Amino acid sequence: MISLYLAERTWLHGIPAGWKLIALALISLAMTPLDNLPIMVALNVATLALYASLGRAAMAQIALLRPMWPLFAILLALHWWNGDIRLGLIVSLRILAMMLLANAVTMTTRMDAMMDAIEPVLTPLGWIGLSPRAVALAVAMMIRFVPLLFALWEALNEAYRARTGKRGGWRLLSAFCIQTLRLSHHTAEALAARGGAPRGPRR
Amino acid sequence: MSGAILFDNVSLKRGGREVLSGISLELTERRIGLIGNNGSGKSSLVRLLNGLLSPDTGRVNVHGLDVKDDVAELPRKVGFIFQNPDHQIIFPTVAEEVAFSLEQSGRTRREAAAEANAALARFDREAWAERPVHALSEGEKQLLCIIAVLVMEPAVLVLDEPFSSLDLPTRRRLERLIAGLPQQILMIAHEFDAYASYDRVIWLHEGCVQMDGQPDEVVGAYRAFAEASQ
Amino acid sequence: MKDRSLVQIALYAAIFAVLGLLPRFDIPLAGGVPITAQSMGAMLAGVMLGGWRGALAIILLLFVVALGAPLLAGGRGGLGVFFSPSVGFLFGWVAAAFVAGLLMRVLRNQPVFASALVASVVGGIVVLYAFGIVGMSLMTNLSLLDATKACLIFIPGDTIKAVLVALVAQTVARGMPEALLSRSA
Repeated sequence: MISLYLAERTWLHGIPAGWKLIALALISLAMTPLDNLPIMVALNVATLALYASLGRAAMAQIALLRPMWPLFAILLALHWWNGDIRLGLIVSLRILAMMLLANAVTMTTRMDAMMDAIEPVLTPLGWIGLSPRAVALAVAMMIRFVPLLFALWEALNEAYRARTGKRGGWRLLSAFCIQTLRLSHHTAEALAARGGAPRGPRR
Repeated sequence: MSGAILFDNVSLKRGGREVLSGISLELTERRIGLIGNNGSGKSSLVRLLNGLLSPDTGRVNVHGLDVKDDVAELPRKVGFIFQNPDHQIIFPTVAEEVAFSLEQSGRTRREAAAEANAALARFDREAWAERPVHALSEGEKQLLCIIAVLVMEPAVLVLDEPFSSLDLPTRRRLERLIAGLPQQILMIAHEFDAYASYDRVIWLHEGCVQMDGQPDEVVGAYRAFAEASQ
Repeated sequence: MKDRSLVQIALYAAIFAVLGLLPRFDIPLAGGVPITAQSMGAMLAGVMLGGWRGALAIILLLFVVALGAPLLAGGRGGLGVFFSPSVGFLFGWVAAAFVAGLLMRVLRNQPVFASALVASVVGGIVVLYAFGIVGMSLMTNLSLLDATKACLIFIPGDTIKAVLVALVAQTVARGMPEALLSRSA
């Protein structure tokens, strides 16, 4: 399925996922209490330089933030109204930089590698019955279901249109819920037939 | 006897209804068909074999395993193919789906991935490995289900109406594939010509064995019965 | 965890994602205002699956989004969304599903529509916005009042969604009562 992972390999792709996540967390912790406009500007410049070093495809991702313009505008307006436009700028720049940095980690890390990096954190969940393998299975099943449910919705829509000439929209939701519940029964059965939900580490 | 499926006076109730009554069968043949009307108990009968259902009375033994006492080992011994492949496939890509069966059998992720590719290669489908499942056709999905089940090397393969959503050429291809497998096969199907080469066909009617014997005889009798009840 | 629960959680996480991928609904009552379906997902998960499983479904979805899947409305995803001002709403969805499910259980002897409506409004709006507004206030250094002003505009739309979810729950209860797992949990 479409993912946010950038296929063109960059230097950031080579850095282990765990390191990137820790770096992101540290930068986030450091930046949050900061009330320093020059530092925020510097952070954003550094972030843009990072993106530039990752290539054109990465730079194109910055455009993905465009829908957030209204939000930033409202944010600045509210701070200006309160008489503290400087704080508004700091906050906006901080959010912008952090979102771009976090996105850079996502772009350069495979989902599988992320799972591996996070797995040590997940092991305590094993004590309440959620083994890392079960989590991995849940993730895989969910991804598997998305196109299937899409197709199911389209099938219901098609049948509705054939009967009424109109698009189903929200009216299909009840039938959709019932059908998906039936699907879950069958899938649970199939899972049981193959040994059931796994226990233990991901090996 | 290790190579047989034994039903000993088995009864089963589902939802208050008696779906199987006093079934006693000894299945040693390699290719066995199961026919009958919907609601006759066929699906329930086969689900006793892999532990999805448990008999209320009587015992069921599959190649030395008792379905009540040894239920955890059944999925490895009994491979099950359902009617709708979309209800069985739980992973988004082909290789992952096959690898899951192997991981369930105890391989590490790396081993499972390697063996999954080898399994796909045996069926001339190495190219499928990274393909998303929803890009496969119905027949291809059903083949994937079969591959994913076969890598567990079960002794018995049970198929519950596996051909319902397939066109004739696809069905023929899968029939030929299944016919060549080393496992003991128990299949429910409404496409009776699939039973031409089978050793035995059992007709189940309202929870009891109506007839049991050679494919031609039993299918013929069932056909006559179905026509007569119009 | 039982097979069936695991499957249902994965399923509702997927439903949440699909609701984000569907084209916007048009509801005649709303005067043609397009409604994005995705925020119904939290109410739906809680109302249908109950508190624990509903909340886990949203957590699973957020987990997969964090791993890098673009499953939020508009194709958004990845770690970036957790640094946006609306991050409070993301975690709020978990609480919303939990509270909605809890209320469905508490109100299980009341008529389905009424209990589902209460569950959806309290969980999907009151609790959700509490988390969302606090989150926004923290992320943007705005006062709670200002943060509330910024979010107010979405409440009417979400009220319509709550009604929709209640209608769906009622219809499902008529077609397949066992489907409303939240009541039998």
